[in-house]
Amino acid sequence: MLAATIQKDLQLLARDRGALISLFLLPVVFIAVFGAFFSDDGGGRRRVLVVWAADAPRPAAVVAALEASQLFELRPATSADEVRAAVAAERAHAGLILAADFDPAAGRPAELAIDEALAPPVRLPILGALTALVHRAVFPPPAGADRPVLVPRTPPGVQRVLRDVDAFQLSVPGNAVLFGFFLALTVGLAFAEERRWGTWRRLLAAPVGRWRLLVAKLVPYVLVGFVQFGFLFGLGIAVFGMRIGGSVVALVVLAAAVVLCAVALGLVFAATGGSEKRMGSIGSVSLLIMGRIGGAMVPRAIMPPALKAAGLLVPHGWALDGYFTLLVRDGAGLADIGPQLGAVLAFAAAFLALGVWRFRFER
Amino acid sequence: MAGASLLSLRGLGKDYGGRVAVGAVDLEVPAGTIFGLLGPNGAGKTTTISMIAGVITPSRGAATVAGHPVVAGAAGFAARRAIGLVPQDLALYEELTADQNLAFFARLYGLDRATAAARADWALGVVGLRERRGDAVAPYSGGMKRRLNLACGLLHRPALLVLDEPTVGVDPQSRRHIFDTIRALRDDGMTVLYTSHYMEEVAELCDRVAIMDGGEVIAAGTVAELVDRHGGPPLVELELAGDAAALVAARALAARHGALAGDDPTGAVLRLPRPPQLGPLLADVETAGATVVNLSVVRLDLERVFLSLTGHSLRD
Ligand SMILES: Nc1ncnc2c1ncn2[C@@H]1O[C@H](COP(=O)(O)OP(=O)(O)OP(=O)(O)O)[C@@H](O)[C@H]1O
Ligand SMILES: [Mg+2]
Repeated sequence: MLAATIQKDLQLLARDRGALISLFLLPVVFIAVFGAFFSDDGGGRRRVLVVWAADAPRPAAVVAALEASQLFELRPATSADEVRAAVAAERAHAGLILAADFDPAAGRPAELAIDEALAPPVRLPILGALTALVHRAVFPPPAGADRPVLVPRTPPGVQRVLRDVDAFQLSVPGNAVLFGFFLALTVGLAFAEERRWGTWRRLLAAPVGRWRLLVAKLVPYVLVGFVQFGFLFGLGIAVFGMRIGGSVVALVVLAAAVVLCAVALGLVFAATGGSEKRMGSIGSVSLLIMGRIGGAMVPRAIMPPALKAAGLLVPHGWALDGYFTLLVRDGAGLADIGPQLGAVLAFAAAFLALGVWRFRFER
Repeated sequence: MAGASLLSLRGLGKDYGGRVAVGAVDLEVPAGTIFGLLGPNGAGKTTTISMIAGVITPSRGAATVAGHPVVAGAAGFAARRAIGLVPQDLALYEELTADQNLAFFARLYGLDRATAAARADWALGVVGLRERRGDAVAPYSGGMKRRLNLACGLLHRPALLVLDEPTVGVDPQSRRHIFDTIRALRDDGMTVLYTSHYMEEVAELCDRVAIMDGGEVIAAGTVAELVDRHGGPPLVELELAGDAAALVAARALAARHGALAGDDPTGAVLRLPRPPQLGPLLADVETAGATVVNLSVVRLDLERVFLSLTGHSLRD
């Protein structure tokens, strides 16, 4: 009976394009878009294209100095035009053109191809660093003048929340949680459809206990939840290079709790959601709000404290804190996410209790 | 009187929030018969069979099917296995194929895959849908969906097939097919409970009939028994010819002889209890300028039985 129900519900889901899009396609799109967005802002090394006359000593010395500094992602180019075109097309932040007769002392500086309207926080560090590096390469400082003039030191107490976090460690779990909970809507609608199609009456007429019927209707979606988790995290690792610092087993356990929680919330929708139209609108809006305050869209790490606290009113916030720990902290395991796992399971139990209490087999 | 009861209802009733949908129905359905449950919209037919099928929980009373009690939980499984429900509203997964629907419903009744497949094949043959079995149901015609709906209720070969208005919205050809199927199943030993608000259907198909109105069974028996008991005196039917004025005049004169207000839109048919003498009536009709082209004694029907029992028509 259970196997038959699972098969039937999966067959139905396979033909439900809307559900497939919202469970599998949309999260991938969001992961890619948000991941790329955060990556770009993440302050990796700026890409600089260089073209230089290889046989002239001065340009070669400059390139060697730039490489040694490791401040930029240097890319050699074959012509000055290629450099300018690459900068114009935003394939590089800047380009350095070092002609054979490059000689600043004689009034022949190099050309720096850069959009002069670029935002100062991006433009000025490039300009400043390149100027200093080229200057040193061309005008070696006299003995004693190469002493450091400043020493950077981090004062104690600085919060480095997102250091060493790659963008996909935020966007993969964020969207996996946001769209993972959309499973609840799929579950709620599946019940409503069963009633609308009249097939619910056939189920009730069958020689199957009513509670077994209810469980059998939920189980297929637990499986779908696991597939969704595997798909999104798998894609995160394989395609987006997301790193998992902690225990994979703990990650799977947390995901199982999240899936249970989402399906239990689906039962609440089924029990209280009313018509499909009402469930569709109220359900998706409430899921979006829960995702928003839970930190599925804007990382909780950079939320103001009040919002961060509010996020713990929904399972999303706990789930995301758990994922964050497991992805970012090397060696983190089940013990490190105890409260988060417990909270997600508590939400699941509460949803289940509410759903079971309010669910009506007959209407 | 046919054999032992396959289905028996004792004071079965259902309230919805204090409103009585079905009062207290007593009914015996003999094994091996096609039993009609006839009643107008809202009479409580669907509510009654939903209680029998275990879809809704009765507010009072009891039912047994093939000796098994209709109760909630595992104790009621034997009764459920004995019943094949064909709901009034189609109950199909329209996105799935006929085969997928049948396979699922068969396995819901505990049949293994192989048996389920064999039964699906048999049921599709019974309703004549083998050719389209691999197609999704959604684009089927209304009649085909009705037939598949019927097939889904047959898979576990129930002792009692419960059909809730299975011919609503189907063309005469599909209706004929459904009727032939039901008779063949009865001849195979299945008992059939058939609800309808078409008295012609019930009169044609059913061995026995119960008439429902306002949540109660108000009469039960064979069609002949019901007509004998409740049909009133036989009627004479006159078919007239003539222009509109003549027909109006003839109708007015005939009213003096007790003619009933007919539901014939042309006004050319008169019905009245058979008078002791036909001569004066015929003379009056001719005086009005109309001619009698046909005269017959009408068979009493369930419609009149219903009218005489309830004071209102089946169709309103
Ligand atoms: N779920 C329900 N809640 C409240 N009232 C209901 C419910 N189901 C049926 N009723 C009421 O019970 C009465 C009997 O309805 P039922 O559907 O059994 O009639 P029916 O004879 O099958 O009519 P139809 O020919 O229209 O199918 C109606 O007055 C109906 O409004
Ligand atoms: Mg009905």
